[in-house]
Amino acid sequence: MAALRNSFPVRAVRAIARRVSIGLATALLVLLPAAPVPADPPPLAPGYRALTYVPPQPGTYGLPSLGPAADGPIVDSADRDVPLRSLFGDRLVLLSFIYSSCNDVNGCPLAMAVFHQLQARLAAMPGLAGQVRLISLSFDPEHDTPEVIARAQRDASSPAVDWRFLTTRSEAALQPLLTAYQQPVEKERDEQGRLTGQFSHLLRVLLIDRQGDIRNVYTAGVLHADLILADLQTLASGSEPVPASVSAAASALSAADRLRAGDDKTGYADAGYRTRSVAMEQRHGKPADLLAMARKRVAGLPPLPVPADNPLTRDKILLGRKLFYDRRLSLNNTFSCAMCHIPEQGFTSQEQATAIGIEGRTVRRNAPTIYNVAFLDRLFHDGRESTLENQVWGPLLAQNEMANPSVGFVVDKLKGLPDYRGLFEKAFGRPATMETVGQALASYERTLISGASAFDRWHYGQDEAAVSAEAKRGFALFTGKAGCAQCHTLGSTSALFTDQQFHSTGLGYRDSMAREPETQRVQVAPGVAFDVDRSLIGQVAAPKPADLGRYEITQNPADRWQYRTPGLRNVALTAPYMHNGSFGTLEEVVRFYNAGGVPGETLDALIRPLELDDDEIGALVAFLKSLTGSNVEALVLDAYAAPVGDPQ
Amino acid sequence: MKDYKMPPRGTRRSAVNALALAGLVAGAGVPASSYADETCASPYMKKITGQEDYVYVWTLGAEGIGDEQDKLVTVATNPKSPSYGKVVHTLSVGGRNEAHHSDFTDDRQFLWAGGLDTSKIFVFDVRSEPGKPKLVKTITDFVAKSGGVVGPHTMYALPGRMIITGLSNNKDHGGRTALVEYTNAGEYIATHWMPTDSDLQGALKTGKYADGYNYDVRALPRKNLLVTSSFTGWTNYMMDFGKMLADPEAMKRFGNTVVTWDLHTKQPKKVFDVPGAPLEIRCAWGETHDYCFTTTALTSQIWLIHADDKGEWQAKAVADIGDPSKIPLPVDISISNDDTRLWVNSFMDGKTRLFDISNPHKPVQVYEKTIGAQVNMVSSSWDGQRLYYTSSLLANWDKKGQDNEQFLKLYHWDGKELKEQFAIDFYKEKLGRPHQMRFGAYALYAGSNAGAKLADAR
Repeated sequence: MAALRNSFPVRAVRAIARRVSIGLATALLVLLPAAPVPADPPPLAPGYRALTYVPPQPGTYGLPSLGPAADGPIVDSADRDVPLRSLFGDRLVLLSFIYSSCNDVNGCPLAMAVFHQLQARLAAMPGLAGQVRLISLSFDPEHDTPEVIARAQRDASSPAVDWRFLTTRSEAALQPLLTAYQQPVEKERDEQGRLTGQFSHLLRVLLIDRQGDIRNVYTAGVLHADLILADLQTLASGSEPVPASVSAAASALSAADRLRAGDDKTGYADAGYRTRSVAMEQRHGKPADLLAMARKRVAGLPPLPVPADNPLTRDKILLGRKLFYDRRLSLNNTFSCAMCHIPEQGFTSQEQATAIGIEGRTVRRNAPTIYNVAFLDRLFHDGRESTLENQVWGPLLAQNEMANPSVGFVVDKLKGLPDYRGLFEKAFGRPATMETVGQALASYERTLISGASAFDRWHYGQDEAAVSAEAKRGFALFTGKAGCAQCHTLGSTSALFTDQQFHSTGLGYRDSMAREPETQRVQVAPGVAFDVDRSLIGQVAAPKPADLGRYEITQNPADRWQYRTPGLRNVALTAPYMHNGSFGTLEEVVRFYNAGGVPGETLDALIRPLELDDDEIGALVAFLKSLTGSNVEALVLDAYAAPVGDPQ
Repeated sequence: MKDYKMPPRGTRRSAVNALALAGLVAGAGVPASSYADETCASPYMKKITGQEDYVYVWTLGAEGIGDEQDKLVTVATNPKSPSYGKVVHTLSVGGRNEAHHSDFTDDRQFLWAGGLDTSKIFVFDVRSEPGKPKLVKTITDFVAKSGGVVGPHTMYALPGRMIITGLSNNKDHGGRTALVEYTNAGEYIATHWMPTDSDLQGALKTGKYADGYNYDVRALPRKNLLVTSSFTGWTNYMMDFGKMLADPEAMKRFGNTVVTWDLHTKQPKKVFDVPGAPLEIRCAWGETHDYCFTTTALTSQIWLIHADDKGEWQAKAVADIGDPSKIPLPVDISISNDDTRLWVNSFMDGKTRLFDISNPHKPVQVYEKTIGAQVNMVSSSWDGQRLYYTSSLLANWDKKGQDNEQFLKLYHWDGKELKEQFAIDFYKEKLGRPHQMRFGAYALYAGSNAGAKLADAR
């Protein structure tokens, strides 16, 4: 049997020669032993034919590394033992695993045919040819002895192109190489279980750079001389584009673009909607000195309240920021505080009316913004917490938010994370504990203060040019006819636009008590919406959890459906609005109040029809838009600079 | 088509022999007019053209059901097996990761299965014992390695590597995301972000949208084409379906684009408007059939991505699926081996519909059948005679109460009717929510138990 294997080119190449008209077949034919031709040969691989598309322009694309090409002991055609990697480094290498008796036309013969093509074409490209080495490594050491490969080496030799034929001493020496190069090879047996001399294998040819790294893998469907030449030229020229997260074609972002949701859906209800998406990779950070910003009195805001037992320090703020953006702070490592309080979405989530937690579990209420949360007397929509230090443990432990099973679980997890090593000790002089985790997170959140808005410059700073006449008119309505300021209060030197009290607008009452309409408007694409039968939606809807508002804390029936008055600073950035996120725009909110809220039990006496006309509604919205703080960009860019903790 | 007869152990033919002698397994990587989908497998991998021995069902864990965690369920499907139609193996992987899609490496040695929630990827050795897959590697750092891509969805074999579609990101859990490449050994290679308005990366925005969303990926190698579609981000695909439908803000966060890419360079070329969340992509097999299909989940249409008479890629809607105003929600699709038929499942009405796509520009529905109260995936044998169906879409999108049927069903298609052969109730069996199915066969392997690199890498 072995005596017949007197040359490396394989039997089935005769079949190729009969079926391929290109010149390489002739070159192969002279090397062929006699061989049977399959009666029903499979279609020829693309490598035997002209490429059906224009190959890529060399140097215009990247070939990222697939990792180092493995080493192993091999035998060259002079019967010398050498390490495979000794043939890497000085040239670009194309490495093919083949064996001499292969009769699969789209297997080893294809690799041989393409190498012959490359040999011929590289001969006309001396600059490139001198940088390339072709290697055909046998995975049949039993039959492809050094003598056999020496013959093949002589037959294939060309002064223009370095083509090496290699084998191994034994299957034991070969196997680690096959494993490392993910080259599964099985010996075939016939019906009687006898070895046929054939191997089942998936043809792989590897492109290896001068650093010994694999840069491409070709199998039968893509093994084509045109593509390989383009890749060789790309690597040889050194003009391969430097890997970059943002392409050279990226447009510069305006300040406004940086401050809005990168996936802005404004106008989505209209058929004319156009995307204005921002590349994730353009979300570049710029750290800010949050401590200095917090210590500075901000126009329009009262002095920052800081608890005596948790004074602000840089280390605490930085640690708190790291915790805030760390998705590992949840049971299954998917959920950070920032997944609901997204910096460029007003530190809330514009993508959902009411939030969801881990595993998509339903949260009943809209994620509130944490801008200026330091000034709030009571936290959460129902006011059930009073300090930030305590509040942070609510979401951390809530089964439908971050779902950590216990305080100890969080603390122990942090102690075990290498990137937290020493950080608590540096900030607090002691390790992570329930108290220090709360204090760190609270310290960061406390610095997210935002004032000095256009309104402040006008109202408190007497800069008449700071806001438009329409906004001024809106403010007059806000404090006058519309009565908004009765709950969204202002002081003589500062304004938080909240009375820190609880009121019912009727929205909660409606959610609990009103019958659901028979159909639900569902938008399925820009400008396309259907009225869908509620019964259909009911098939896929879990029962909606009840929400009774402040009553859940006080157990006083008078407090049913009351929610904390939110501050209005940065309100233009924090859609959707209300405790249930039921309004997507400020105009919708104003129109809701203009209509007098939802009549019903516990509706706040202050809420009544306002009889505002469209101009007045527009003026109120203009005023509300003047409340965006001057430091929003700094806070958002600082947030972008925070590391997002993911399992490493 | 020859009947598959499993040879005695130790004398099983290798894949190449099967190709040359028995016609059981189609060769990998070579475009061929007669080669078929076997549920739309990558053209770079061997396909089972005879009888599959097993179906691997990537199954979501369900709270209150069995051990509540995701698992790979192996079902015997060879009628000659004494276990035909039975679960023969289950392998729990820990946690509910939102098990979703899975697929093989190009050498079909390993099955990669992704979790849309935790972004873990589980790699199973299906070669050593096809009836008893082994978990050999769990990739837990996909998000960190990829630069923030969340939700590994389609696992698609390219030569020596897997290309994986992401659905979301770790910054806002929205829909902007990327394609990610890994080696077959499970090492990260590269991230290719979807084109957005601020960085189209040289692609042409042909219409109004460039949302940066992603969902499925398919290749048409002879045209050097890669095609991607677009779904939605983590916030929506993890949300209770009913809650989401009633949330106008959430409903704005769906993909409306299909992107064509240069397959070799992985550079985006054109961004097409395909409104309403185009999901699965299936490319035709015929040598001259330069087109792929996708269906839109929300707008219930079949779209054709096709080369025009100048060779330029175009996209157009070619048919409605049911009554779009009722939102039947088309989900999985399966193209036949000769590009004449397309099965389209719709989740809400639990139906499978057969379209005649002989004229790809004018698909015509020719058959429909209700599979269950809900249905999601369909996987076809290469000859189109056996169709497997599973029920689960996403943990929080599945129907509630009585309608929450969770099954794997096999039907035979005789050209006129689907006839049920067996059904496995995945809740009664305490398994969970069955999702994607992939086929295994002894004919793919020579029967050796030789080790593989991934087995050592765990």
